Amino acid sequence: MYKLFLTFRYLISKWVAVFSVLSVWLCVAMVLIVFSVMDGFLDNIKQHSRGLLGDIIIDNKTLQGFPYYDEFSVYLKEQMPGEIDVVTPVIYSYGIMREPRTKFTQPVRIVAIDFDAYCEVNDFYDSLYYERYYPNTTSLGPVQIPVAGVDSKGKPFLPQELEEAHQKYLKNRDESKVDKTDFDETNYNSPHGVGYFFNEYGTPAMEGDPLPGIVIGTDVAYSRNKEGQYDRGLQRGTKIILTILPLTSGGNIAENPIPVAMRNVDDSRTKVYEIDKVCVYVDFKLFQEYLSMGSLELVDGTYSKPRASQLLVSLTKGQDYNALQPKIEEVWAEFLGTLAGNVTPIDARLLETVGVDTWETRQQAFIQAVEKEKVLVTILFAIISIVAIVLIGVVFYMIVLQKTRDIGIIKSLGATSAGVAMIFIMYGAIIGVIGGILGILTGTTVVANINELQSWLASLNPKMQVWSPEVYTFDRIPSVVKPMVIFAVFCMAVLTSTLGALVPALKAAWVWPVKTLRYE
Amino acid sequence: MVLARATKLHKSYSLGKTKVSVLRGVNLEVNEGEMLAITGSSGCGKSTLLHILGALDAPDQGTVSFAGEDLFAAGTWRRDAVRNRDVGFVFQFYHLLPEFNVLENVLMPRMVGTSTLDWMSSRKSAIAKAGEILGTVGLKDRLKHRPKELSGGERQRVAIARAIMNEPRFLLADEPTGNLDAKMGKGIMDCLRSLNQKGQTIVLVTHDPLIAKQADRQVRLVDGRIEP
Ligand SMILES: Nc1ncnc2c1ncn2[C@@H]1O[C@H](COP(=O)(O)OP(=O)(O)O)[C@@H](O)[C@H]1O
Ligand SMILES: [Mg+2]
Repeated sequence: MYKLFLTFRYLISKWVAVFSVLSVWLCVAMVLIVFSVMDGFLDNIKQHSRGLLGDIIIDNKTLQGFPYYDEFSVYLKEQMPGEIDVVTPVIYSYGIMREPRTKFTQPVRIVAIDFDAYCEVNDFYDSLYYERYYPNTTSLGPVQIPVAGVDSKGKPFLPQELEEAHQKYLKNRDESKVDKTDFDETNYNSPHGVGYFFNEYGTPAMEGDPLPGIVIGTDVAYSRNKEGQYDRGLQRGTKIILTILPLTSGGNIAENPIPVAMRNVDDSRTKVYEIDKVCVYVDFKLFQEYLSMGSLELVDGTYSKPRASQLLVSLTKGQDYNALQPKIEEVWAEFLGTLAGNVTPIDARLLETVGVDTWETRQQAFIQAVEKEKVLVTILFAIISIVAIVLIGVVFYMIVLQKTRDIGIIKSLGATSAGVAMIFIMYGAIIGVIGGILGILTGTTVVANINELQSWLASLNPKMQVWSPEVYTFDRIPSVVKPMVIFAVFCMAVLTSTLGALVPALKAAWVWPVKTLRYE
Repeated sequence: MVLARATKLHKSYSLGKTKVSVLRGVNLEVNEGEMLAITGSSGCGKSTLLHILGALDAPDQGTVSFAGEDLFAAGTWRRDAVRNRDVGFVFQFYHLLPEFNVLENVLMPRMVGTSTLDWMSSRKSAIAKAGEILGTVGLKDRLKHRPKELSGGERQRVAIARAIMNEPRFLLADEPTGNLDAKMGKGIMDCLRSLNQKGQTIVLVTHDPLIAKQADRQVRLVDGRIEP
């Protein structure tokens, strides 16, 4: 009985114990924060990689791409009808984007997509800004400029098509899907506070020549203000010149660079900074032609096969991409067999190197790097924990030395050595429990507000902007607090504190009462 | 009837290279119900002998039998139990626990000997008993005071209350008045004497002949032996 009683009394009467609690507290909070951010980082990478690529990726990792992608799409769906959901080709290329009005230029990565299929194969659709508030108005086909006007009461309104679309949005509005980085009412001149439009005092209209639409990666054109919201400075429909460099199937530059006039129809924020900072999305068929990847008449009068950079495959619900990847690989080999002999040498070279990967293996280098970092951090914190153990050990040793006489007294009253040791071991455990709980509370609070904390720090001093989206992929600090991690960290805290108290506890058990009781 | 019997006790301390023999064959019997005073000059080994009698220290040679049981043949846990239940110590410097109040200090031996579960059921009666004992030593209104708020005489009375809390058969007092002025010392001696009158066996160590005279029997420790 006396053990608990003494433990608690010493706990509240010895203020040095506060140091041990403090060290455990800080350690626990720190471990929790770092682990939550790393776990969030990993989870985000996994989720986004899949969301942006699709389940299976087929490509030969060259810029000129590979032929027969269309035939293979059909073949694959025939061979695995129940398992394949959507197969869609993508072309990747590079170009220069220029905004004629501001003369603003920027190198961009061109992603030519079949809009509808691409939206089905991954989460691209959810990343679109205007499409969120004006559903079904984003299209990569020829588009005009939507110009807002004013009604008889002086209230601005948009062309009917956009007004109706917005009504539809309002009807199906899902608060949980509202992106906090979207709104900054003062900067939006649309009647609805979402989007940036040209306006006139007359009636609203669709104006200008119809030009192909381009979806711009949000970070290509816009930057964020202090509140973390994007200033979308380009009106919807703004003319944009995209200059591209076509390649032949042999990899030579086919023609002079071609400027393509387009209109800004939307912007895409996948939240992966590396993507949003460079990618623009354009129509697949159109750019296949522009990039000389379509069917071309050759010198000998035959036609070349159209090419794509990549095929993205999504599987039907419930299918395991890891299990189906080898099967798709087999189907690809079979497909090559059916082509045998009818392929030009250049095409054969391009087909030879085509591989079938899951999104996971494609991102493996990256995922593994972060996972290795996690191991590193774990080791680091193991070392910090040792420091905490030593600190607790020292503090307790001090207490034991100070209390040597009292330990002697308690023993003279019949306490066993084990009982006295237990006092200090429980003392350590309780400090672990208190420090652990405080640390968990602090850690989870910090994690929950980590982005706000970061912007607050940055507002005090820009040098304290520790999270840089350029380096860390995601534009906001990701985090997940896993119950398992909380549990593990808590157990570690209690264990290390108990361990730290062990040596002093043994020392206390060793105290031989007579020596200390002889004198005052 | 003999309660404790020490036979041929030897004890020496090594100070650096020299060995100091403190006890050199002490034979002593303590009868049940008596108040025995051990006298001797300062540094002659009185405290050492008392500690060995109370199983707080071990002799180099010799035996102590307590109520017929050889104390140093048994295990440490047995000696711990004897200290808790059968022996009460009163020290010259009181040795109260500073973080605990008077009542808690007196309850301490009971707590040490009781498991948490048993404590829950026996707590009330233990507190009542401690209150009663503190009443008999005249500290009824000091239950919630910390030791440092008390005078030396009061502290020593708390120490006596603590020593008899578990109703030990053997009360060992090591110069209980050594640190007190004459008036306070008298109070403590009155207290011990009245306990002895109720049947408590007491062994008292002192170098003060006036104190020793108040005991039923006196023995003298000289040159590491009991003088007859
Ligand atoms: N732990 C120890 N180490 C060395 N010498 C000791 C120790 N304890 C006691 N002594 C010595 O033993 C002798 C007896 O001490 P003690 O029993 O306290 O005498 P008393 O109580 O009669 O004054 C003294 O000379 C003392 O210095
Ligand atoms: Mg002494």
